[in-house]
Amino acid sequence: MKDEHRLLIALQDLDIMIKEVKDKVTSRELQSLGFKLTGLNELQDARDKLAKKVPRALLQRYEKLTQHYTVAILPVTGSLCLGCFVKLPTSFFSAVSRNELQTCENCGRLLYIP
Amino acid sequence: MKSMEASKLISFFEEDFCIFHLRSRKKMSVLTEMVHHLALNNRISDEQFIIEMLKNRESLGSTGLGNGVAFPHGRSLAIKELSVLFARSASGVDFDALDGKTTKLFFLILAPSDKGSDTYLAILSELIGLIQKPAKLKSLYEVTDFPSLVKILEEKDQ
Repeated sequence: MKDEHRLLIALQDLDIMIKEVKDKVTSRELQSLGFKLTGLNELQDARDKLAKKVPRALLQRYEKLTQHYTVAILPVTGSLCLGCFVKLPTSFFSAVSRNELQTCENCGRLLYIP
Repeated sequence: MKSMEASKLISFFEEDFCIFHLRSRKKMSVLTEMVHHLALNNRISDEQFIIEMLKNRESLGSTGLGNGVAFPHGRSLAIKELSVLFARSASGVDFDALDGKTTKLFFLILAPSDKGSDTYLAILSELIGLIQKPAKLKSLYEVTDFPSLVKILEEKDQ
């Protein structure tokens, strides 16, 4: 896997965490369990720092997808896109290089072969 | 928040996902040791993603809730399925716990990114409820094998 794809996956993990903290219901639940969620600014800083390392075009593509989906980048398991559960065409696999991100033709999510 | 039956909670624990004698003595190395253990048991596709995610989670606020117990948790694309790992350190670790004391028990709860947070929050809630019971907590501090762990988790009215 290319470094830039690894960065994107790490960025997505961070975005999901930030989204969870910003979600009032989830953060209220976590706080009621005793967790202090005081470091949101630190998380945001880490996110911004990481985002700067992702190539601009790829980041823009990813961020556009995250406007619609929580999970914008996914591994391919079997022959399905695990985002929309549509079977990927055989041509998808013949065209795929293990190092390249592909796009699900149905939902547009970014896919990689782990 | 959804509650969970004790039997359902116990079903998330497996002998392979328990470390009764943690070797690590520092916060980051404890997280690394636990993640490595899950990777050895094929629950994780990439250790580095998980370690990074847990490190970020700790920067949000320590998951060391006090009373010697920590609940590191989070979601990542590198988690294959919802996983709970139990770890115990007899001597305790400085985990930046909210009460400033050392942490002896760790419940690592990891969920895949593409699943909702409901189940792992339910597990967290149930476990946090359990450790409020002083007798149960005391037994957990001493536990050194899986059957005993299951027994402690199962037992009511401790």
